[in-house]
Amino acid sequence: MWASLLEEIPRFFTYYNLIFLLQAGARTIGLSAIGCIIGFVTGFFLAIMRVSRGRSFLPIRLFSINFVEFFRRVPFLVTLMLVFFICQAANLQFSVFTVSMITVCLIASGFIAEIVRAGIESVNVTQWEAADVLNFTLAEKLRLVIIPQAWKVILAPVFSFFLSFIKDTALASQIGVIELTYSGKVLNNKGFSAILVFGTILIMYFIISYPLALFGRWMERKFAISKH
Amino acid sequence: MHYTIHFSQVLKYIPYLIGGAWLSFQIAFLAFCGGMVIGLAGAIAKTYGNRVLQVLVNGYVTFFTNTPQLVQIYFIFFGLPQFGIVLSSYETVLVGMTLNAGAYATEIQRAGFLSVRRSELEAAETLGMSFLQSVRYVILPHLSKTLYPPFSNLYIIMTLGTSMAAIFGVEELTGRAFNVDAITFRPVEIFSITAGLYILITIAASFILLYLGRWLFRVKGKVF
Repeated sequence: MWASLLEEIPRFFTYYNLIFLLQAGARTIGLSAIGCIIGFVTGFFLAIMRVSRGRSFLPIRLFSINFVEFFRRVPFLVTLMLVFFICQAANLQFSVFTVSMITVCLIASGFIAEIVRAGIESVNVTQWEAADVLNFTLAEKLRLVIIPQAWKVILAPVFSFFLSFIKDTALASQIGVIELTYSGKVLNNKGFSAILVFGTILIMYFIISYPLALFGRWMERKFAISKH
Repeated sequence: MHYTIHFSQVLKYIPYLIGGAWLSFQIAFLAFCGGMVIGLAGAIAKTYGNRVLQVLVNGYVTFFTNTPQLVQIYFIFFGLPQFGIVLSSYETVLVGMTLNAGAYATEIQRAGFLSVRRSELEAAETLGMSFLQSVRYVILPHLSKTLYPPFSNLYIIMTLGTSMAAIFGVEELTGRAFNVDAITFRPVEIFSITAGLYILITIAASFILLYLGRWLFRVKGKVF
């Protein structure tokens, strides 16, 4: 068993296989990075829509709540299939990469909206009232009063969400995006042993994710708000 | 190509899908319970164990939390047969999810252990409590309060994670959705119904966990 595995290693790590794996890795990183950046922007707006007050904003609030709850409560795979088939039904000629990108953005904005909302709500209500008294507009209130206090609460969870998202993009392999997991399947189908192939893939995910996890932990310590 | 939405053809499959939801619930629940047990053992080993044990548990947690669950299950599914261990796809998914949940649960429970402050234990000692009494009246109420919210979160995330089992041919909710799709060629309708069912399941789970938490541990929280 082990002998055949060892014998297979030089055949597995050839130049072209490595290029293939690295390209797939780049696609995984690209998918999660772009998804998270766009997701952060839209999630931010969704959170602001959610904390709006007054009856005239009710439809906006309802939209935000429904959007967030939908994408937080439906599994990645089902959302992916739904987006995939809706694009097909609407006769949009998107590549599978675009489809998975749309899915990633939608889900990321749902989750990040909830994190940002928690951050905004962590700011004491008297701060809002004080800003009201100073006759700030909503944009001014957010920019000058709320966000400077909320971002410390937001940053660490958003970062750990980014991390978990790198792992979630593995599911994009199910519609044929050639990212790390899919490249593992391809190499496995080529006849390389599954232990070798998926072991390598696991290690590559680990190499991507672990330094970021360490950075996140450092950041969490740095911005930790002392409660005592 | 023109696609018109026809729900009529798929409505009769809803009981079939609900049967799949039951299986999803089963997988999530079993893996969650297994994960709790692993997590408890891991947290105890990490907090009170010797150096070797700590390094081992640390390695397990770091590895499993930094790699995708899907690839872990792939590894078990395709890798173990090479060692002569053949598990059914249901068992594979269950083992993979349990190991994954165990890693997260270890972290959660360890954080819970650390959150019991020394001064609380000393206060209990001052009141003349025995060890069992301080566990019963000080440590457990404190632990349950700190651990309950992250654990209910983990449970919801795991319920969503069970959809991965479909990839390995387990006929749970998503797997059955794929089956119905293959029969009727109505993917948009079926996957929107499936999405609706997942929302129902997780909202129900959220409410049950919320009221259970309020009743048992007086944990405050909200669903939306």
